[in-house]
Amino acid sequence: MRISTLAFANLNRRKGKAMFLTVGIAIGVGTIVALLSLSNSIQEEIGAQLDRFGANIVIVPQSNSLALDYGGVSVPGVTFDQHQLRNEDVEKIREIPYHKRLSVIAPKVLSAAKVEGQQVLLAGVDFKNELKLRRWWRITGRSPENEGDMLVGYEVARALSIIQPTGQAPQQGVEAGAHHSTEEQSQFQIVKGDVQIAGQRHSVVGVIGATGGPEDRMVFGELLHVQKLVNKAGQLNVIEVSALCKGCPVEDIVGQIRDKLPHAKVSAVQQAVKARTEMVARLTRFSAAVAVVVLIIGALMIFTTMMSSVVERTKEIGVLRAIGFRRTHIIKGLILEVATISAAGGFFGWASGLAASWVVLPYFSETGVGRELNPTLLFAALFGAMLIGTLSSIYPAVRAAKLDPSEAVRYI
Amino acid sequence: MAFIAIENVSKTYSETEFDSTVKVLTDISVEIEESEFIALMGPSGSGKSTLLTTVGAMNRPSHGRVLIDGIDVYGLSDERRADFRMEYLGFVFQQHHLMPYLTALENAMLPLATSSVSNREKRQRAMVVLESVSLGNKASRLPNQLSGGEQGRLAIARALVNQPPLLLADEPTGTLDSKTGSEIMEVFLDLNRQGQTIFMVTHNQDNAALADRVLQIRDGSLVVCGTAHEAGRMLAGRTDHEPRAVYVGQGKTAVAESAVGLDPA
Repeated sequence: MRISTLAFANLNRRKGKAMFLTVGIAIGVGTIVALLSLSNSIQEEIGAQLDRFGANIVIVPQSNSLALDYGGVSVPGVTFDQHQLRNEDVEKIREIPYHKRLSVIAPKVLSAAKVEGQQVLLAGVDFKNELKLRRWWRITGRSPENEGDMLVGYEVARALSIIQPTGQAPQQGVEAGAHHSTEEQSQFQIVKGDVQIAGQRHSVVGVIGATGGPEDRMVFGELLHVQKLVNKAGQLNVIEVSALCKGCPVEDIVGQIRDKLPHAKVSAVQQAVKARTEMVARLTRFSAAVAVVVLIIGALMIFTTMMSSVVERTKEIGVLRAIGFRRTHIIKGLILEVATISAAGGFFGWASGLAASWVVLPYFSETGVGRELNPTLLFAALFGAMLIGTLSSIYPAVRAAKLDPSEAVRYI
Repeated sequence: MAFIAIENVSKTYSETEFDSTVKVLTDISVEIEESEFIALMGPSGSGKSTLLTTVGAMNRPSHGRVLIDGIDVYGLSDERRADFRMEYLGFVFQQHHLMPYLTALENAMLPLATSSVSNREKRQRAMVVLESVSLGNKASRLPNQLSGGEQGRLAIARALVNQPPLLLADEPTGTLDSKTGSEIMEVFLDLNRQGQTIFMVTHNQDNAALADRVLQIRDGSLVVCGTAHEAGRMLAGRTDHEPRAVYVGQGKTAVAESAVGLDPA
């Protein structure tokens, strides 16, 4: 016979009330756990979605000169480059400790070139990676596959009469590729299959639909081919990197790349990082607000239940005080009861919240990421429920302990 | 020095609703020796329970002091006073107030719940007191599986498990039929014969007659203090008190022949 024996016997005696309180706490904890799990998954989803919108790290050679502009990023001119980026640098980037977080590494060489007699920005790219990075491109035609294949920006294509509005017959020999979009096709079609670039004929295999971006005014070719074409063999002007942003240690990744490429200027694209951070912060604030409301409701429920329990048990508490129980013994017994209920509620809340989040996750997330048993969340659910339970029952317990035993005995 | 010394104890309750005060006890002084069996009698509302809880270290007097075994009970802090109740006092309530969800053994062990002794020893002690009230074979029963007399005996067992020097009882036979009440009083008498000091509130003249001394309280003042025989004689001399009954008690000291006037209210 200990105080705990009394507490557990009391719980057993008032099964209905204990059950009601456990279910109430479980609902509260479950709501918060489900919300946190969903929020975490949605955050990851948003991160993944934002990562699709392009690079979040840009690497350019160290230079003071600003010669060419690409996508809002200034690229040093060839003549004044003090340090060149090289093809080998791409492999060095893959060696950083966070290399698994790098989803796309897209090297580029950029140069002004004469295309059909007009000055155009020519970019040599690794199409496989570049197209992963530019998911918003809508290509009419097909993606380049051979060394001399070119992808032309919408403005350039229009200026060089490579395309014409839909309705006119396309030039024979131009293939329609896998990446064409119905919408773009309805606007134009390719009517000219090749162009003269730096004195050589090249096939135009695809035209990028208007994006409003710099690519509208560019021509893209295979990296190695363009490097040779513009006499920049092995040289790169810019490397764009897309880092998977779970936990988003972009600044750490930037630091690691800097260590590997001390001759390069490595910078995070702040807009992407900020947008993601802001989105995550909003979600976190929303989750926190809902959690606070749920916690307040839960605490009030425990408080009122305990208050009524104390009133019901005036007689019993009076007898215990009369036979020599200290105030602290009464408080200890009551808190132990609530802590036990809270722990049970916390566990069932964690389990049900997790189950609920798994059920509804497919409706919120395309990927369904975040379906994992998180021991930290279990610990937090148990600890949080017990903390709230204990805090909410302190006042009722103290009030019970302060009951005047002579009054309680008189009452009985 | 007396085992219990009640010195000039007064108790006043303030009634905030009416902005007035009610004097419940007025300047009560009495000394009780160790192993005495005291019966406290008086009409309803006369202050019996207030005096009992005051002696029971639960109800601080407005004036005066209570010394038990030389300890000024109300000079102790609240927590120390709880410890004092645990160590020195055993309570038997009118309706027993057993915990319905605990077995007889667990009920008897209840005052030991906060003790640091092992569970095994607690069980042993509880079994000893249960045996002493002839409930050893019903230790595993719940209170509602016991008769009224057995419940009363269990309440006494609970009060005795800590071996307290003073047993306080508030109308222990008040809710029992006469036969069961007699059983309980036999237990009290046995205990008293073994040296247990008992302070018992009762309305029952027969039970009061079993005590060494009877305290008669009226309107908060002690009007009679003596053996049942003396108390009867003293009250018989009062002009406002008509003889009402003649009874023969079976107490160890007093056979209250013509013990009239022990007003059972």
